[in-house]
Amino acid sequence: MSIFGGAISSLEKGLDFSAAKQKTIAQNIANVDTPNYKAKSVSFNEYLSSAKESTISAYRTQTKHIDFQTKSSTAGVFDYSNYSYNHNGNGVDMDKEQANLATNQIYYNALIDRMSGKLNSLQTVIRGGS
Amino acid sequence: MAIESVSLFNPSQINPVSTTSKLSPSEAQADFGDFLKTAIQSVNESQKASDVATEKLINGGNIELHDVMIASQKSSISLNATLEIRNKVVEAYQEIMRMQV
Amino acid sequence: MSIFHGMNTTASALTAQRLRMDVISSNMANVDTTRAKLVDGEWQAYRRKSVTLKPLDGNFSNFLNVAMGSSDNRSVGNGVKVSDVKEDTETPFKLVYDPTHIDADEDGYVEMPNVDPLKEMVDLISATRSYEANVTVFNANKAMLSKALEIGK
Repeated sequence: MSIFGGAISSLEKGLDFSAAKQKTIAQNIANVDTPNYKAKSVSFNEYLSSAKESTISAYRTQTKHIDFQTKSSTAGVFDYSNYSYNHNGNGVDMDKEQANLATNQIYYNALIDRMSGKLNSLQTVIRGGS
Repeated sequence: MAIESVSLFNPSQINPVSTTSKLSPSEAQADFGDFLKTAIQSVNESQKASDVATEKLINGGNIELHDVMIASQKSSISLNATLEIRNKVVEAYQEIMRMQV
Repeated sequence: MSIFHGMNTTASALTAQRLRMDVISSNMANVDTTRAKLVDGEWQAYRRKSVTLKPLDGNFSNFLNVAMGSSDNRSVGNGVKVSDVKEDTETPFKLVYDPTHIDADEDGYVEMPNVDPLKEMVDLISATRSYEANVTVFNANKAMLSKALEIGK
């Protein structure tokens, strides 16, 4: 049914992006003391515009052999390869990551609220206003 | 000055409305039947998608939580929509059967 | 990536920082230990230990991707781990003049462990801050997941 077009599919993409960004922020803060670690981030436009992630499947001589776990890379994830704030080569800016964490959380909550609102209004409409 | 009579009704200027094709009753039935079938199929698809998402959630697989919740809501909405359409159709049928000839 | 991927990342970070804290406590506890290891019949003082952290970068497919030439490392990563706890062999032992000490050599000098309490305290504070930051991330993650459970309610 095409009642789920437009805003709902955009909201879904936004939610996926926000979830990916949350994971990169968690990874960055987890590696705040690791030497020579470059901070990761997710690019919004690249994430939205990419259709599929790259999938690799194993060359199997028999179908009963187990395949690789396919999805391993996320579109739009990149490293800040030039920045380094510490003497040990670590590139994580803790203040920026904390700010991103808070911002991302608010963004995610807002999208969830909107999605919930749209789905509930569809339910109400379908039930005829009761 | 001659006064021309004005005719209110000029048949040549009025195009009949019959440019739209009229459906015969059997064609109308067939279209609606197709519509209902596709609606039920899409409800089935969305239910299956929601089940797949729930399976992935249970097995700790490759999915986000909001995707699971959204899939379940979508299948619920599709199901409700189809049920309501069915109810309205049945009600319309009963309304028509109640008409006294 | 399961729904708990972010939490697993943070959990690995908490484990790593906890291990770092344990190593620091071990160093601080042994700041005066002159008889830590028996080497060639001679007692050696305690050598300061330190942890090496490495990022956990995902599974085999990811390495395959990088090896095949796609330039960036595009996985979101899996956290951090302590790859090694090694002894600090570069900083020399502190020599303290105390002829009455049982381990004094013939000049009266005792080899004390190369643990600098100030440095250990700084490391301690750093580990504590990292631990707290990761707890904040964990709570944020949990709040997001709880909010997602409310879709449609």
